[in-house]
Amino acid sequence: MRYLLISVCFFCFGCASFSKKNNFNPVITTSNISNPYFANTSLDYIYKANIEVYDNTFGGIFIVKKLGEQQHRIVFTTEMGNKLFDFSFNKDQFKVNYILEDLDKKILINILNKDFKVLITENLKTEETYSFHSETIKKTKLSNKTYYYFETPELSQVIRANNQKEKVRFLFTKINDNIAQHIEIIHSNIKLKISLKSIN
Amino acid sequence: MHKLVYILFFIVFATQAQTKMNNIEATALKTKVKALANTTQTISSDFVQYKHLDFLDNDIKTSGKLAFKAPDIVKWEYINPFKYSILFKDETLFINDEGNKSNVDIGSNKMFKKLNKLIISSVKGDMFDTTEFTIEYFKKDNNSLVYFSPKNEKFSKYIQTFQITFNEKGDVIEIKMIEPSQDYTKIVFTNKKLNTTLDNAIFTH
Repeated sequence: MRYLLISVCFFCFGCASFSKKNNFNPVITTSNISNPYFANTSLDYIYKANIEVYDNTFGGIFIVKKLGEQQHRIVFTTEMGNKLFDFSFNKDQFKVNYILEDLDKKILINILNKDFKVLITENLKTEETYSFHSETIKKTKLSNKTYYYFETPELSQVIRANNQKEKVRFLFTKINDNIAQHIEIIHSNIKLKISLKSIN
Repeated sequence: MHKLVYILFFIVFATQAQTKMNNIEATALKTKVKALANTTQTISSDFVQYKHLDFLDNDIKTSGKLAFKAPDIVKWEYINPFKYSILFKDETLFINDEGNKSNVDIGSNKMFKKLNKLIISSVKGDMFDTTEFTIEYFKKDNNSLVYFSPKNEKFSKYIQTFQITFNEKGDVIEIKMIEPSQDYTKIVFTNKKLNTTLDNAIFTH
């Protein structure tokens, strides 16, 4: 019985949320989340990209265009201009317009879809708000996954977490006029890191 | 009625500065390009690359330098707005991505060998291989324009047509690679010099 109690306690403790584990303090606010980094239809967003996947590193050009309300196109090419993939996002619809045969793997496409959805989703409903040091952290759900948005007050970081564990971290730095000059997407359960540097 | 025909003819002619070559003209161009390619020991050139994607407001413009040394050493280097170079030398592809250096052994890699060959033949314009390409010849102002459409199905999914513009000397001044989606990459060469002595330091990794 005692063991059962201990294990129940352990289980409960083990299930403590990502926010509790990191000592975030709950606060009451009602403001929602806004991500301004790919929100301007009159801009072409062009980044030099570097992708580290397992022990391979390769580069290219990462292109994002907002075409309308909740509508984006994302294309990745080599430096020499050859298209590697071309995706369309229209509200909750996702379409692969083109992908190089060697990259045409369902698991990879799913990861990229999920990651890019975070980059381009502009408005999200805040479920809970916390403060930690000088940052405001807002918890939200996107495609049934839990995300924490860090504001300083500009959006500086997004973390996808599952229970206690961080799964993916998005870092936005060198922010200028609603453009994040530098973006990093770091996965912690697979060896994948995407670094983007604005070139326009 | 006659007038209408004239007007129509004039409109068609005026809008089509690009006209098809006859067989004699096409053969003459091919001979000229091949002769120049065969005597080309080195090439150095600046280039501007325009990546056109239909949904963008502006083409993505990058620029850099090209260096070639016969038979098969090529350096393709982007300088603006980022530094990135690839160098084919000694059966190896050397990549320098903003200081991060890596290399790929291409001795056993058919695809990279093909890419090496393709870059050389396209910058020389010598792609007149009818087993690999469907070829169409045009005149455009004082220049010649040739369409090379890959016959290989896998290749044509990647690039539908190479449109190469030659100047009067038979030298390549522009390469346009059109994808099946009609998006394209256009490379314009400037300051192109043939057969000058190139310092070996250009080709060090």
